[in-house]
Amino acid sequence: MNYPFWEIPILGSGWVIGIIAIFHVMISQFAVGGGLYLPMAERKAMQMPEGQLRTEWLAQLAGFSKFFLILTAVFGTVSGVGIWFAIGLTHPEATSTLIHNFVFGWAMEWVFFLVELTTIIVYYNTWGKIDSKLHLAVGWVYAVASLCTLIIINGILTFMLTPGAAWLRVAGTGREASKFWYAFFNPTYWPSLFLRACVCCALAGIWALITASRIDGDKHPALKTTMVQWSVKWLVPSFVATPFLLIWYLWMVPASQQALLTLGIDTIGSGTFSIITRIALLIIVTSATIVGVAYFLAYRNPREFNLSHAIAILLLALIATGSGEYAREMLRKPYVIGNWMYSNGVRVPYVSRINQEGYLAHSNWVWKDYDESHYKLMSYLVPPSTVGQKDTTPNYSRGEAIFRGECGSCHTLNGYRPLAKLLAGRDRANISSFITMLHDYKPDSPYRRYMPPMVGTKQDIDDLADFLNAQVNPPQKPVQTAKK
Amino acid sequence: MTSKAIYNWVDERLGLSELAAFARHKTVPVHSQSFWYYWGGISLFLFLVQCFTGVLLLVYYRPGAEAYESVRQITFVMHFGWLIRSAHAWSASLMIFSILVHMFSVYFMRAYRKPREFGWLSGMALLGIASVFGFSGYLLPMDELSYFATKVGLQIPAAIPWIGAGLANMLRGGPDVSEFTVQRFFALHVVVLPAIFLPLLGFHLWLVQRHGNASPPSIEALPPEQRKTMPFFPNFVRKDLAMWLIALNILALLASVFPWSLGKPFDPLAPAPLGIHPEWYFMSPFEMLKLLGYVFSGKYAALGEIAGILLFTLGIALWFLIPFYDNSKESGQRARVAHYFGLLVVFHLLITTTIGYWLIQ
Repeated sequence: MNYPFWEIPILGSGWVIGIIAIFHVMISQFAVGGGLYLPMAERKAMQMPEGQLRTEWLAQLAGFSKFFLILTAVFGTVSGVGIWFAIGLTHPEATSTLIHNFVFGWAMEWVFFLVELTTIIVYYNTWGKIDSKLHLAVGWVYAVASLCTLIIINGILTFMLTPGAAWLRVAGTGREASKFWYAFFNPTYWPSLFLRACVCCALAGIWALITASRIDGDKHPALKTTMVQWSVKWLVPSFVATPFLLIWYLWMVPASQQALLTLGIDTIGSGTFSIITRIALLIIVTSATIVGVAYFLAYRNPREFNLSHAIAILLLALIATGSGEYAREMLRKPYVIGNWMYSNGVRVPYVSRINQEGYLAHSNWVWKDYDESHYKLMSYLVPPSTVGQKDTTPNYSRGEAIFRGECGSCHTLNGYRPLAKLLAGRDRANISSFITMLHDYKPDSPYRRYMPPMVGTKQDIDDLADFLNAQVNPPQKPVQTAKK
Repeated sequence: MTSKAIYNWVDERLGLSELAAFARHKTVPVHSQSFWYYWGGISLFLFLVQCFTGVLLLVYYRPGAEAYESVRQITFVMHFGWLIRSAHAWSASLMIFSILVHMFSVYFMRAYRKPREFGWLSGMALLGIASVFGFSGYLLPMDELSYFATKVGLQIPAAIPWIGAGLANMLRGGPDVSEFTVQRFFALHVVVLPAIFLPLLGFHLWLVQRHGNASPPSIEALPPEQRKTMPFFPNFVRKDLAMWLIALNILALLASVFPWSLGKPFDPLAPAPLGIHPEWYFMSPFEMLKLLGYVFSGKYAALGEIAGILLFTLGIALWFLIPFYDNSKESGQRARVAHYFGLLVVFHLLITTTIGYWLIQ
């Protein structure tokens, strides 16, 4: 269960992960695609006849490798650590499950990551200083190492959507790691790997266009034309294969998750997850546009292709990547680990137990004092003078703890997916019956498709209803009358 | 029959090769401010989106008493109805925005001078009609917000001395906004305005083709060998199409992430909700009227309304007639005055609009 004090007002903790992750994906996938781009471009330059164009190509690539080094090794690394930090706070239980299951996988990834960092520094610093074939070999080592990081992390990411039947059979027994390879090569592993590999190549071309756009087309017409056109070609495999790979990927996703994609075809009703359909449409439009703009502005007009054009393509790629990652995250709902852990960190088999014993009894993050039936938030949330004393806080303090634990990983009170707005117009009884409906989680409940159940006792339901009611229908301030 | 033979057959009858030759010889200036040339094309593209989505909305929209229910069905029942409606509503706002950018770029590049006066005048008329398109379309869902916003918006024409009250009554179809108003606005929106807009747009585009893109005075002052150009076809057209695609993406982003929602059904007896205001492009005149209302309160209130209307009329007239005031090719005193006047208008629009939204908050 989540840390009850990890509350991000307005933005929501999910978006903290989201913003860092979108930034990180843009860079880390470039690290993989660019890792292939650099040695292939260098090889192409080396195959050119001796002359000005060959010299210019190699000089351009040396400049590009500096840009690549700074972007991937500095910003990519920092944002990667940022993701660890954010997921650890937002989803400690899910992060713990991943670490326990994939510690060997992550160890492998970090080895390859170290090789990546080392080789890219060597690659950048040895332009013209070592034999050209050896330099190219360093580039290929980097390419293989960075591709391996993708091969590994892809297994962990896809596991969260489709952990696979073999792993689910041993989940919760303490023998989860024995099914490491089953969990790793899960049903969506291969389509996702090819899909990401294609996106990596496209991002390599798009980022390369940033540096190529700065070449003066009047002074170096041949360099600019060949460099821009060659970079555009890196987008081709992605946009030819992506539609088919996407169909394959969605084919492997469980039917209940596939159904989420169609929720927004006929409505924009709030709280119905129609956003996934809208985001999917956005991905299609943006991806198609990148191809069109890259073709018209870059491939057909290479000499006039400038930095603002390149940034426009990059921003479109950012929208497409961000939308893709957002949709992928949303597809997992109502789980954070498919069929095993709900998005609020409650494990599926624990639901009936928590319903009997109460939600706060299973949270490590509340102050449990003199009486089994009373809990407080951790000490810093209550005045120090009351810590350890008899609990006199009103019921909705418990409700707030439940809100933060059960709702806070997806909802805020007044910002992103705001409960105050989503529940607006309901009174205390109505809010309570809505929570009860989420608690009962009947098979025909429409919310089952994307929301976890509300777990806990009748008391928990009442406490949460009290807290939410106080937010939705704040008590009126008493009218002050003038003293006689 | 080969493709060349088909082309020849069509060419013989329609003169395609003449058009192609014209496009090949036409050039567009290339300089540091060429970016602003694309905004006219972007406005045109967004207008085409309006036409396409508008026709699709017509299939299900029912004006009059059923207006609200039909929009509810479009938004919450029909497959992708929300998308068509959101694209229509967002492209309307984006179109007004891009026309404004286009207008100010033409103004500050002094592209209204001889022989482009008719281009300026027709463009201004198109902007005026586009804003009436926006105003009339805003009421059509007939929800609470559009109902009260239209009531508020009609205060602007109602404030015109002598004819204002009659004009507002005629637009409303009675003393208050009702189903009759929706019928009238609908007729205006889908028949009357397009009938005026389309030929005027054709005239405007013909003028653009006839006179070409104007260079700013600093570029005109360069010797001919230092001026750069690019062929209109295919180079400029290709870039124009790329800009259209980018505009399409911005539209898709807005329509998907912020779909146009629908409020409660209107209730004429209910009090107006807090913070009712017209669309952003009417916020400046709306706020000006309010500010003048504060200045001329009490028994001077009518004077304030008249002062506001006179100020608008004078400002619009000066703006409209700028080609006849600043008509010299040289950058003299008049050009400087026109430039400062333009800056004043930009600041005025920005500040009054910002104040308007700030007061709502």
